[in-house]
Amino acid sequence: MELESWLISATARSLAFATPLLLAALGEIVAERAGVVNLGVEGMMVLGALTGFVAAQLGGDPTLGVLAAGLTGGLAALVHAFLAITLRANQYVSGLALTIFGLGLSGVVGRAWQGQPLRNPFRALDVPPLAELPVLGPALFQGQHLMTYAAILAALLLWVLLFKTRLGLSVRSVGESPAAADALGVGVYGLRYGCVVFGGVMAGVAGSYLSLAYRPSWSEGMSAGMGWIALAIAIFAAWNPLKALWGAFLFGACFHLAFRLQGVLPAEFLRLLPYVATIVALTLASLGRSRARRGAPAALGTPYTRGER
Amino acid sequence: MKRWWLGALMMGSVAWAQLEEVQAGFIYVGPVGDFGWTYSHDRGRRAVDERFDWLTTTFVESVPEGDAETFIDQLVRGGANVIFTTSFGYGEATLAAAQRYPEVLFGHATGFQTAPNVMVYIAEFYQVYYLNGLMAGALTETNKIGYVAAFPIPEVKRHINAFTLGVREVNPEAEVEVRWLYNWFDPAGAAEATQALIAEGADVFAFSEDTPTVIQTAAERGFPSFSHYSAMYDFAPEHVVSGQIANWEVIYADFLEKVHTGEYTAQNLEDVNYWWLLDDGAVIMGADEETPINPVFEERLRAVTVRDPELGEVSVYDLVMARHDAMREGGPEAFDPFTGPVRDRRGNVVIEEGVTPDQETLETLEWAVEGVSASSPWDNEP
Repeated sequence: MELESWLISATARSLAFATPLLLAALGEIVAERAGVVNLGVEGMMVLGALTGFVAAQLGGDPTLGVLAAGLTGGLAALVHAFLAITLRANQYVSGLALTIFGLGLSGVVGRAWQGQPLRNPFRALDVPPLAELPVLGPALFQGQHLMTYAAILAALLLWVLLFKTRLGLSVRSVGESPAAADALGVGVYGLRYGCVVFGGVMAGVAGSYLSLAYRPSWSEGMSAGMGWIALAIAIFAAWNPLKALWGAFLFGACFHLAFRLQGVLPAEFLRLLPYVATIVALTLASLGRSRARRGAPAALGTPYTRGER
Repeated sequence: MKRWWLGALMMGSVAWAQLEEVQAGFIYVGPVGDFGWTYSHDRGRRAVDERFDWLTTTFVESVPEGDAETFIDQLVRGGANVIFTTSFGYGEATLAAAQRYPEVLFGHATGFQTAPNVMVYIAEFYQVYYLNGLMAGALTETNKIGYVAAFPIPEVKRHINAFTLGVREVNPEAEVEVRWLYNWFDPAGAAEATQALIAEGADVFAFSEDTPTVIQTAAERGFPSFSHYSAMYDFAPEHVVSGQIANWEVIYADFLEKVHTGEYTAQNLEDVNYWWLLDDGAVIMGADEETPINPVFEERLRAVTVRDPELGEVSVYDLVMARHDAMREGGPEAFDPFTGPVRDRRGNVVIEEGVTPDQETLETLEWAVEGVSASSPWDNEP
């Protein structure tokens, strides 16, 4: 196959696979920027995938599914927020519990919905004028789902929000030094709650992409570890929404190429690629000195108690 | 007086051998809702549970292959006297547990090692895959057929080979391009593998993964496909041509009934090996139970004709139905797709002219037939 068309199709597929990773990673970035780790992304995603499917199937409209999935993810995150922020429970344990709970619950509740095709899925579409562009058209603007563009737009907006607005400054200060922010009159608890719930909404929506667009049906465990990859992308991207765009694309490419390059490179190596990338990203990020340089919020994972230091 | 005791004892032991009450425990590797492998085993379980009033059933799902023994212990403690372990990877655990519980009867699906109280069983698809291949060969326009495969193990290779034999019989130009998932259940991987095959020019699809993902992904781009394991017609009524459906119920019913009547006991399972095919009703060709060939494709399949030594000039549609009926009525003796000459893709004759391979040859097969694309990776190829 010609190199050009090979690259075009590989780019298009990487973008499609990157969408749920990006959506979930953006949500996690916001939560972590406010200082709260949520390892429940996988659980919120799979709950979103199920409720999104159920709502779309019953309501006959995939948009309803996205709303329901966002709501579910947000509610699940609210539980985590209550535990982590108000009760000051261990965030890692609480998040893990959320993942296990989400996988289990969606499996049991979702049983009745297995084996059903979604009646009205999101259709892939071409973006009229841009799809005609010579190379970029087929690579970026043909046969993608609306949610893919929404995810990219969200990355841009969140970057502006986090780094160019007062609200973003408050969010970041809450994640860096909640005591100082509190002293300046920033509502630490409220902001943290908001950011964690936002993260849940994004994870839920990411799940709904899977069950409404990417593969319009429901199967138990269909998030298949993507939530964990999204967590890695948040770190890989140094908690920067724009870099998450590249991170998600890179991971998407890893997944797609594992199948594209079979027969060219050893399959075992290709299968490991996304996970190797995850480990490399995590290793780089956790190397002590580089941590500060790479921009991890200083108070990440630490509960805040007013008056304590 | 002594006689009376003896008689009672004998009666008792006969009753025990007969298993008045059968309690069957099932160990599943996946979730019962996977709509594939585990789903169809569970369908079989529910069917026999309803059919026999002397039978109760229990199951545990999503059991990791390394943990099977713990769950067997649990089922035995719960009173199960028959246990079905429904994954190849449960083999070691099944044999070990069978030694520990010599009075319990075991069935190991897709296994090959038996014991006095362990039988093996499989609802085998290769005939249906061959029939699907005939249709796929007629439908491809690019002469490239995509196959999304689970693991490179003999069972899956046998199915790809049977499929490819069908493809090449109708269309000697066509190639079957394989992509491996290294997973039985991997919807995202299956979608991406299908997309990769589409990008490389494939225009007809078959697969062995436990969800309808390949069908959905192919249909979105307008390509026909063959469903696997369950009735997947509803997922793309315009695009599912046919497929294979497992019907484990007949095997479970046959075995459990013979356990109930005492024909099978924990001492005589050594030679019990269910390798049940079309003629046993253990497998069905179709997009669903009522649709052997989707009418949407009838015209296209009638338009392609081939020359058959026995049937003469015949349309692919009629060829499929003729072969299907022959195998369903007469079994593999009437027709077998693996009857030689069969060459591997390196050009060696692996099955000599006129020879029909025995079950063991098919069970341990590692080679790829001619027509499996050269760029398809194929582990352990001899």
